[in-house]
Amino acid sequence: MDLFQLHAEDLFRADSLAWVMSGLIVFVIINVRSYAMRYLAGDRFQRWHRFLVLVLGGGVLAMVFANHLLVLLAGWMVSNLTLVRLMIHKGEWRAARYSGWLAFRSFGLGFVLLGAGFWLLAESAGTASIEALVQQDELNAMGFAGLLLVAIAALIQSAAWPFHGWLTSSLNAPTPVSALMHAGIVNGGGFLLVRLAPLFAGETLLMHALFILGLATAVVGTFWKLLQTDIKRMLACSTMGQMGFMLMQCGMGLWAPAISHLCWHGLFKAYLFLSSSSVVGEKHSIVSAAALSPARLVLASLSGLGGAVVFAQTSGIPVSLRDTSCLMAILAVTAAAQVSVGLLRRPLSAFLMLGTFAAGAGAGGLYGVNIHLIEAALGSLHLPPPQPLDAVYTAGVIVILAVWAALLFNLPARFQSHDRWKQIYVASLNASQPHPQTVTANRTAYQS
Amino acid sequence: MCVAAPPEVRILPILEASPPSIREMVAMASNVVAPVWPLETSIAVNPLQGLEDLPFEDALREARRQHALCGYADRGRQAVNREWIKWCAAYFDAGQATIAMPGRDRGFYRSFAELARFDARLTGSETASALLASLPDSPEDAIARCLREIGIREAQQVEFIRQTIASLPGWAGYVKWKEQWQAPDARAARPASLVEFAAVGLVLTVLLWPGARILGFHRNAAPTVIDDLAAREARFRKSLLEKLGPQADVLRTKQTVRSDAQLVFCIDVRSEPFRRAIEAQGNYETLGFAGFFGLPVRVQGIDDDHALDSCPVLIQPSHEVRDEASDCDRACLGRHERGRSLLRMRGELYQWLKYNFATPFALVEMLGPWLGLRMIAQTLASSFVSRLSADARSAVMPAVDAKPVLDGIELERRAAYGEAALRMMGLTENFAPLVVFCGHGSSSTNNAYASALDCGACGGRHGGPNARILAEILNTPQVRAVLDDNGLTIPDDTLFLGAEHDTTQDLVALYPSQGQPPMQQSRLEKLRADLTRAQVANAIARTATFGQGGLDGDAALRELARRSSDWAEVRPEWGLARNAAFIIGPNDLTRNVRLEGRCFLHSYDWKADPAGAYLTTILTAPMVVAQWINSQYLFSTLDNVAYGGGSKATQNITGKFGAMQGNASDLMHGLPLQSVFEADGKPYHEPMRLLTVVYAPCAMVDAVICAEEVLKKLFGNGWVTLVCIDPTSNQAHLLRRDLTWAPA
Repeated sequence: MDLFQLHAEDLFRADSLAWVMSGLIVFVIINVRSYAMRYLAGDRFQRWHRFLVLVLGGGVLAMVFANHLLVLLAGWMVSNLTLVRLMIHKGEWRAARYSGWLAFRSFGLGFVLLGAGFWLLAESAGTASIEALVQQDELNAMGFAGLLLVAIAALIQSAAWPFHGWLTSSLNAPTPVSALMHAGIVNGGGFLLVRLAPLFAGETLLMHALFILGLATAVVGTFWKLLQTDIKRMLACSTMGQMGFMLMQCGMGLWAPAISHLCWHGLFKAYLFLSSSSVVGEKHSIVSAAALSPARLVLASLSGLGGAVVFAQTSGIPVSLRDTSCLMAILAVTAAAQVSVGLLRRPLSAFLMLGTFAAGAGAGGLYGVNIHLIEAALGSLHLPPPQPLDAVYTAGVIVILAVWAALLFNLPARFQSHDRWKQIYVASLNASQPHPQTVTANRTAYQS
Repeated sequence: MCVAAPPEVRILPILEASPPSIREMVAMASNVVAPVWPLETSIAVNPLQGLEDLPFEDALREARRQHALCGYADRGRQAVNREWIKWCAAYFDAGQATIAMPGRDRGFYRSFAELARFDARLTGSETASALLASLPDSPEDAIARCLREIGIREAQQVEFIRQTIASLPGWAGYVKWKEQWQAPDARAARPASLVEFAAVGLVLTVLLWPGARILGFHRNAAPTVIDDLAAREARFRKSLLEKLGPQADVLRTKQTVRSDAQLVFCIDVRSEPFRRAIEAQGNYETLGFAGFFGLPVRVQGIDDDHALDSCPVLIQPSHEVRDEASDCDRACLGRHERGRSLLRMRGELYQWLKYNFATPFALVEMLGPWLGLRMIAQTLASSFVSRLSADARSAVMPAVDAKPVLDGIELERRAAYGEAALRMMGLTENFAPLVVFCGHGSSSTNNAYASALDCGACGGRHGGPNARILAEILNTPQVRAVLDDNGLTIPDDTLFLGAEHDTTQDLVALYPSQGQPPMQQSRLEKLRADLTRAQVANAIARTATFGQGGLDGDAALRELARRSSDWAEVRPEWGLARNAAFIIGPNDLTRNVRLEGRCFLHSYDWKADPAGAYLTTILTAPMVVAQWINSQYLFSTLDNVAYGGGSKATQNITGKFGAMQGNASDLMHGLPLQSVFEADGKPYHEPMRLLTVVYAPCAMVDAVICAEEVLKKLFGNGWVTLVCIDPTSNQAHLLRRDLTWAPA
């Protein structure tokens, strides 16, 4: 039983990935605890909450600094169980208890799969040390099976479709717990994949599977997000989409960008949850390219390309059309072009054109610089290179661009009156509803 | 003395010769729900408003019965409610969803009927699909058909509809607001009526709960809470009258001296402690008046996109007043406008990237570091961040002086508003050199209930603009000439000023006024300094109500600033919590007593109101609003689940207009737990029905009550208790339920 061989000296290892992840979690925990100090003032569960948040932090730290598979597994379990307890909060509200139960079920399955996967990996490699494990050249069948189970556990943790139910039904939790969940716990899947990146990188089949499920999650999650009418479920569906994107990046071998995404999304989403009471009366502004003249569309496209060029310069990613790194540049194109479309709706002038190109370049540059920051922090970590661009990845990139363009040209609004669109709308609305037992259908069932 | 009105509306439908139409049945059935305003302009209402025609005890019993039914946790009921909530949230969304429910302009019922055909959760069986495919075009027909399908006897139909509607009282109340209170042009985008709401609910019932039946009619015995309530009210009444009695005696021998300034505050209970604090600083006199200052206006500030109603919801605004830049050249106005569009573009850029596919993946990485920094700064140093962002804002968009342009109000109307306001507040002589009208508003951060802390008389907005308009009106020489002709002479050296009281930080900001005589400058300086001293005094007293007694002045001000700017703060201020009484009389009646911020104070001089016209207005308008507020606090405290919003910690803002609990729930109307409780199980608000005290002869009060149905209803049914302190004898009299007087 290689999994249970314990040597005190290999239990923990502090590498740059561990430091980056621990930096994120400590930062979020300082914020959430301090926020809850006032936010939960008068709540009889407040002290418990603040204590459990520390326990959760301890679990996550053990997980990210772990070098031994069992330590990682233990940290994984402690942080997930603590999160479930935090979600339920006071325990008298049935819908909240059921949300906790759903999460518990998912995490339980994830834990069993992860445990089994680790056992198979340790048995096949003859070691439970992660450092030694990832240096293996070839995985045997047992090792592959182990890796597959680990990948599924990662998908469950990061709420990938079709394991997303626990996340989209989790909004009975107090706001700070949601912030912690979306900035911390859901990232566990991405962390796990990057931790074992050298093993995954050699398994094209697994990489493709991760990419496809990630893409499906990204498309579905983002589409649902656009339909949602309440702030918290909108944020949850958005997280689902973002996690899908991160899994996609892992599936493409864009490991460092995946960690960058996980960190910056975590901070972004924690902020949005903590400020979610501010949305009352807010006005919504969306942009459509449908009314733009061809000349302006060309300008917007050029500005998008400009953004990508600046991104390539600032991100430190050697962007190449031969491997998947081009996806990152394509994202920079969409962002820069989107901003440009919005700006180009004004009367055309030299000033506007200059401003548009500056905004496009700024968007690409900001994106690039922030990725560069994390890449630099991860510096010493030897991560495998991006996957070569093959048919699967190319098709995926085309899907991303097509969905983006369809929304940019506001197709849903144009097809409003078609029965087919109504079907899609209702089906998506239903699919994104929380689990029925987690809805407070009777007002009296709510307990503060 | 006049005869008490009998209850007019009964619980059970009155069986008449011809059966009521569907529309009438829904109207009868919906008496158990009160309108629910959107959070942006939240207006306090009595959640039992539809039952005010019943004696208080009966209304409470009926409400409890409905509430018990609404807790009836049958699986069918739950399934119906879940889908009903889903469709309500999708239809009524006011700007959260990027891809909205298709076809909303057709109305709630029709757009639901159009989409329900595709809803796999409803089309489970062939009969269900057949029903959905053949839904009638009109919601009335749908209701009739559903009642037939379920098999509800005619005599029970109203009650069945009532039980259906009352199972989601929050959403039903929102529909009631849309139908009866929302401005028609705003309603057109998503029209809805209670008939449509009921039709959707009944269609869902047929599909998901065909075995639905009318539920038992049991009425529980009078809840014990009524006894507690009555005892608590009697104790409070006794102590209040003991405080006021000696003051009434002094009133008769009062000498009048000209004060340095007169300050008119809103009747809001938060004004009272501040008024005492400013009076203690010098030769000042204060008055209380409804915070919209009698002006039925829509106002548009210099940075507002639209004009917004700024008067009580009971009044239709009849004028629009816009702010325009004054004393500012083209260049500085241009900078202001450019700064404004820059700030707006910042928000738009963010939303453009957020609400599409692919771009949000880049967006989160662009903004992650920045929001991370903001998060830690806002959490650990909120006051600093709020100052910094205010500075940054004014650097980008330099402030310009703006003043209201009164062209929209003709001179005669201006004079009429000015005169009516002065006469009603009893300020007709002995004007001070400075008269300040002081509106109020709150300042809180990340607070969905911010508007509940603002001025209810201004429709849940800040009251400063109204105060400023009235001051402008009364400074106009032509207006003063008209008033002079009407026997109301304002001395030439009197200057009117507008101001706004920030109730969260107790800061009073005076609006600049043009053409003020130089001799006023020193008085103004002294007033400003005294207002700051009053702020410190009140801040020390208020921090003590948060359990932070013993702070010195600076620490108290810092704490209030923190509460105002802290995004994690769930109690930025106590609002109108602990409100208990409404006192109508001269300022000197209350000037020397401490009322602990529990009383609405309306200035009134009965001698200047021989016909009782002003008293009628005060009792039927400001007092009714006070009763709405009082009932909201009362019921939110008595049962925070049924009539309140529940804990802010788990609230989820839906459609940018309302609060749900967690994943999805009924629309949680009423005040959140944190607004009325200092800790779990520890109420801060003391639940009590409103006590109104009038300083006027009983006979005069009698005449007013007899002429007004609403007063007979409120006093006769025990919703409000009335005490009259008769100036002729200085005896206090209590109005009994049969509208006769008894010694108090």
